[in-house]
Amino acid sequence: MSERLSRLAAIVRADFLIRLRRPSTAIIFLLLSASAYLWVPAPSTGKCLIQVNGHRALYDSAAIGMATAMLGTIFIGLAGFYVVSNAIRRDVLSRCGYVIASTTMRGSEYLAGKFAGNVVFLTVFMSGFMLASMSMLIVRGEAPLQPLVFITQYLLLVPPVIVFVSALAILFECTPGLRGKFGDVVYFFLWAGSAGAAASLIDRPNPPVWPRYIDFTGLGFSMHQLGDTLHTQSVSIGASSFDASKPTIVFPGLHFEWAWAGPRIVSTLAPILLLVVARLFFHRFDPARLRAAAAATKRTWIGRFNAMAKPLARFVLALIPRGGSGSLLDAARADAVTTVAAFPLAIVGVFGLAIAALASDAHGLLTGVMPLAYAACAIAVADISCREQRAGTSALVFAAPHLRQRFVAWKFLTSMLVAAAFLAVPIVRASILRPDAALPLVVGLAFTCAAATLLGIVSANPKTFIVGFLTFWYVATQDKGATASLDFAGWFGKATPAVIAAYAGLAMLCLAAAAAYHARVLRARW
Amino acid sequence: MLRITDVSKRFRSGNYGVRDLSFEVRGGVLGLLGPNGAGKTTLMQMIATVTKPTAGSIFFRDEDVVAKPDALRRRLGYLPQDFGVYDNLTALEFLNYFAALKGVRSRTKIQETLELVNLHQVANRAVGGFSGGMKQRLGIAQALINDPDLVIVDEPTAGLDPEERVRFRNVLSDIGMGRLVILSTHIVSDVESIATEIAIMREGALVALAPPEELMRRAKGSVWEVVVSSEKFDELRRTLHISSAVRKSSGVQARIVSPFPPVPLATPVEPTLEDAFLFTMRNGEGRNGAATAPTNAAAVA
Repeated sequence: MSERLSRLAAIVRADFLIRLRRPSTAIIFLLLSASAYLWVPAPSTGKCLIQVNGHRALYDSAAIGMATAMLGTIFIGLAGFYVVSNAIRRDVLSRCGYVIASTTMRGSEYLAGKFAGNVVFLTVFMSGFMLASMSMLIVRGEAPLQPLVFITQYLLLVPPVIVFVSALAILFECTPGLRGKFGDVVYFFLWAGSAGAAASLIDRPNPPVWPRYIDFTGLGFSMHQLGDTLHTQSVSIGASSFDASKPTIVFPGLHFEWAWAGPRIVSTLAPILLLVVARLFFHRFDPARLRAAAAATKRTWIGRFNAMAKPLARFVLALIPRGGSGSLLDAARADAVTTVAAFPLAIVGVFGLAIAALASDAHGLLTGVMPLAYAACAIAVADISCREQRAGTSALVFAAPHLRQRFVAWKFLTSMLVAAAFLAVPIVRASILRPDAALPLVVGLAFTCAAATLLGIVSANPKTFIVGFLTFWYVATQDKGATASLDFAGWFGKATPAVIAAYAGLAMLCLAAAAAYHARVLRARW
Repeated sequence: MLRITDVSKRFRSGNYGVRDLSFEVRGGVLGLLGPNGAGKTTLMQMIATVTKPTAGSIFFRDEDVVAKPDALRRRLGYLPQDFGVYDNLTALEFLNYFAALKGVRSRTKIQETLELVNLHQVANRAVGGFSGGMKQRLGIAQALINDPDLVIVDEPTAGLDPEERVRFRNVLSDIGMGRLVILSTHIVSDVESIATEIAIMREGALVALAPPEELMRRAKGSVWEVVVSSEKFDELRRTLHISSAVRKSSGVQARIVSPFPPVPLATPVEPTLEDAFLFTMRNGEGRNGAATAPTNAAAVA
């Protein structure tokens, strides 16, 4: 093996092992596998995996393979980015990057290694998910497992999105202004806005050919083949209602097609060009360039707005209790105020959401403003329960009254206070317009904060929650209330008392699990 | 061995990290002393080819490091300040990773390096559970894995307990044979016993470059010891350079760096390197006013 290949292999191996051993990887894998379980419901529930003109598709390798491959594609596109978008940042923070910069390794070699590391990790992750999905055939299958048919579905759909996300993550990490939390938010809206764009162009009558070449998610390819083989547009995939009186059909699955060979290969390879752009911005750990990039970030429009909003932080800081009783609530209030003061632009967001809530009717408020407000709130509370671990200040807070033993309660309370800043006006307004909406909204909020607390404490990383929640949020908003169990905050008025109780129970379960984990950590390390 | 000529590093903000710095050193351990913000780290980063100087030249064994950094990079070991590790890797995996990046394939070499820093018995433990000292030793292991001719270590003892500091010092002393080791610190005692040359920096400029004994010789006659009352000590502290102070039942025993007797009862004492550092910081000539007669080093500007 040449020296360059050996270096490339070393980067891939190290990145793979680092990610594989993170608790957040196991959590995300379990969440994804659990969502596959919901995605493939038992027909006895009145729902099925694939419905075609009211007919239920038989649960065989083609049907489960294609549907879970599509779910995996959505996951890689949305969550995969967050999972792999810290490869270069890790080397900056640990300063291992300086050592790398002092070796003969070229910048392009390093980026190629990091890109290959992303691809390998996501491929192995998806392979694991594919195996977990195969096991669905044992649980709910109605035909014997055909591994080759199953694997074909994944091979036809997943590779372009893996390469696209891997390359885009490198580009974002190299580009000043797109590194960090702001880039994370930009990517989410970029992906949510563009995921179905190519598919919708391909699905038109007399579609142009070029969108096939940028169909990274494979949705356009899937829709094209489904339309060709099933001769209908009435197809729904994933926990869909069906007519039990109609006979079950055998779904043929996706198959190789010469006309699509070129587009699928191009959409797999084209994202590699993003690495060329990334190389232009890559700092090669030069401290002078890193310093300049940090200054440039402050000069971005969000940095400028944040600086302009700084005076607002002074008013917020005035809310910190001075010489209070030292109660848990005081500590939570101080923590919440500090959270908002650290990013004053959030205050503008709070006012913006309040104005939008007051200006909307009940429907617009619940289905438009609320999902946005919950997403903003989730991003704001994501790092509350893990920032001490990340900053190495756990010992400081554990020395304060109450906080060591009641850390979980403190962090949950802080999250609820920050969330209340975002959602108080919208929830009050919604309660006036639709009194029955109040309870599910509050329960949904508590569930969000409890999940953020658990995932932050366990994984010591805000991205785990952001990834999990935004994926869930995306599915819930796309579902538009068709599935009552996904209407966790009652935005679409479909949350039944059982659903509300279930999310309240889940919130309590999250907090109990976080408390148990924290107690274990205290015993082991503190 | 290492020749630095008129090197400057100017940041985009217009501030200088290092300005018009020149010196030359041969082998041994070069201790780089100076307060925070003196430019030690920037200088080391330039020598380590992590960042380029905005002016001047750096030659290592007569090869231009700025124009052709790869020649040095093959023979370089670098431990940056506040070096972190990948918590989820074992010590062996971590070292294997850096060995591969530096083109080292010998498994024996990796094992030997782990033994050198006394981590061979915990080679298969995740480094996330290591103490600060163990992590620093792993850091020095990665710097030594390619058997470098030039080793650069930036503030390696910060945050270590006294025992680990001594252990780390011994490792650096051992590896200083036959190669050049540049060790930056603001803790004078870290370099006192192992440095063959001391470079003192202030505000991006070289204040002095000389062997430790030469620096101490220059400070001779300018270091005084006196026992004074607490009130008097507070007064002296405001006007003079106190090198050290010990509270005793009779008052405060203070070492004072001053060109003249600071108080009538002050007695002259032999300077330590700490005293010499304070003396040089106060009396050094600054930019290009480096050592007067170094034995193993020469100011070239």
